[in-house]
Amino acid sequence: MFKFALKNMAIKKIQIILVVLSVVISAGVAILAYNIASQIDDGISSNAGYYSLIVGPAGSNTDLAMNSMYFTGNPTETIPYSYMDTLYKDTNVRRVIPLAIGGGTYKNQYKVVGTSADLLANKGFDSGNAFDDSTDCQVVVGYTVAQRNNLSVGDKIKIGHGTDAHGQDLEVVGILEQSYSSYDTVVFTQVKTLWHLHENEGEEHHDHNVYAFLINTNNLTGASTLIRKLNNTVIVDEESGTTYPIQAIEPMSIMRGVLDDLGDTKYITLVLCAIILAMNILVISIITLLNMYNSKKEISLMRLIGISMKKINLLYIIQNSIIGIISTLLAFGASRLCLLLMSGFAQKMGVVLNYGKFYPLEFVILLGVFIITVLPTIICTYSMARKDSLEQ
Amino acid sequence: MICTKNLSKHFKNETAIDYHDMTFEDGKSYMLLGASGCGKSTLLNMIAGILSVDSGSIEIDGVDMSLKTQKERDKFRIQKIGYIFQDFKLIPEMTVIDNINILRLEGVDTSGVDEILAKLEILDKKNKKVKHLSGGEKQRVAIARAIVKKPDIILADEPTGNLNFAIGEEVIKQLVEISKGKTLIAVTHDERLSSYFDYVIDMNEMTGGRRDV
Repeated sequence: MFKFALKNMAIKKIQIILVVLSVVISAGVAILAYNIASQIDDGISSNAGYYSLIVGPAGSNTDLAMNSMYFTGNPTETIPYSYMDTLYKDTNVRRVIPLAIGGGTYKNQYKVVGTSADLLANKGFDSGNAFDDSTDCQVVVGYTVAQRNNLSVGDKIKIGHGTDAHGQDLEVVGILEQSYSSYDTVVFTQVKTLWHLHENEGEEHHDHNVYAFLINTNNLTGASTLIRKLNNTVIVDEESGTTYPIQAIEPMSIMRGVLDDLGDTKYITLVLCAIILAMNILVISIITLLNMYNSKKEISLMRLIGISMKKINLLYIIQNSIIGIISTLLAFGASRLCLLLMSGFAQKMGVVLNYGKFYPLEFVILLGVFIITVLPTIICTYSMARKDSLEQ
Repeated sequence: MICTKNLSKHFKNETAIDYHDMTFEDGKSYMLLGASGCGKSTLLNMIAGILSVDSGSIEIDGVDMSLKTQKERDKFRIQKIGYIFQDFKLIPEMTVIDNINILRLEGVDTSGVDEILAKLEILDKKNKKVKHLSGGEKQRVAIARAIVKKPDIILADEPTGNLNFAIGEEVIKQLVEISKGKTLIAVTHDERLSSYFDYVIDMNEMTGGRRDV
């Protein structure tokens, strides 16, 4: 039966290819949109609650949160690194982690962030360890950076602007575990390493600045107190007389706002997907019914030579099940391929898309599409069986 | 043995055909001759169980087929009857062998197909698509499909209707030869083919003709 179903399908290649394409596009788009929306949602949620507050230059609080937690964008406004000492003097502050960016990249692709080993304290390592804050010229690389560049602990890398790399070698001392977050695609080094690189580049005077401080306080009240205290503060550099207006933000509340916006986007995406899916249900049903109509001659032929309606029904259900299975598998494969291709876009939002991640609702969508592919055939053959009469 | 008694068939256009009683003996070949509309094909279709019987009976080996349901008649047809259609009833996009193996859907053993195709001189066409065959070759494929299940009864409805006389004669010769020992009932217009059959039945005489009801 199965073999004959395949042979019978082979003689209707074009019709079958059209059905498969229609299903692949509708199901693929639906599960891709849902998967991306969910992964971005998950990615943002996973990091948001880790720090009590973020201190950085006055400006967009969302930018500050995104730049600090997901290393998005290229922050140009900075505040003096020396302000860390002032922050530590506050009794509410337990830990301050500086974040600096020098503008240089690794292989013209991966962002280099200057920080302290504290940033990596809660991260798992694939190999090696965090760098030593007391020394310099050491780097910890994200999982994707290491994988794509065949890096191992002990290797030397160069950081540069554009395609140029600075002369100084930096030693890889650690490779982070894969986290499907922005950490996978970043190179971390000591803050002072970044400054050295700039000095080696020939800059006469380079400000020892950072673009943010991630802060953990002793308790929640301490965070609120600090935010009230630090907001609208202006730091004055005594040496140069430069002023730095700063802001302090609570990352959770900022990200909650971002998530609310994303939630709306996700809802709109799902509604659009539902419309696409509904349109395609119609198309799939019409194509299937037309196929069945075209097969009427074939069915009457089989009936005349003595094939029972039960066997004919089974034959067509097998055929459409094969189409359904192939289509849903292709839709799944196509969605994973798109995830892979779109991961670069998602990285801008601080999320590394994991093409291996599968949400239960995706399974439900695929199952629904499979049922939609097979159901018109079952209805059609059932109605044919009811009206079955060779006398016609 | 096939026996018909008081057989009649009504159609939706309100005509009916009444048949005289007939008996077809096992292992003999019969040619049904007659004008169009005299009920030759209708009789064949009723024997095959494709059409139901409105009144009277058709007994095959003592079993009254007129009392059987469509499903039971289908089962009987696939097991016991080889039916050859005038328009072949083959799937043109499929190969010869696939058109014959379609019977496997109902569990029919088609293992002897090569021998039959060889006897019908179309073994070399086995893997060709039916749409690429000539009319005579298509009819031979239809014969092979009817014969392969080793039926007790072979019914042929105008098997030469779409063929010229020379090819038609060749097909009938092969059909009679390959059906030896089985009951063969063939409907045809062409009296010139009568010499190949054991009996010739003039259906104009065997039916009470068409009547309006």
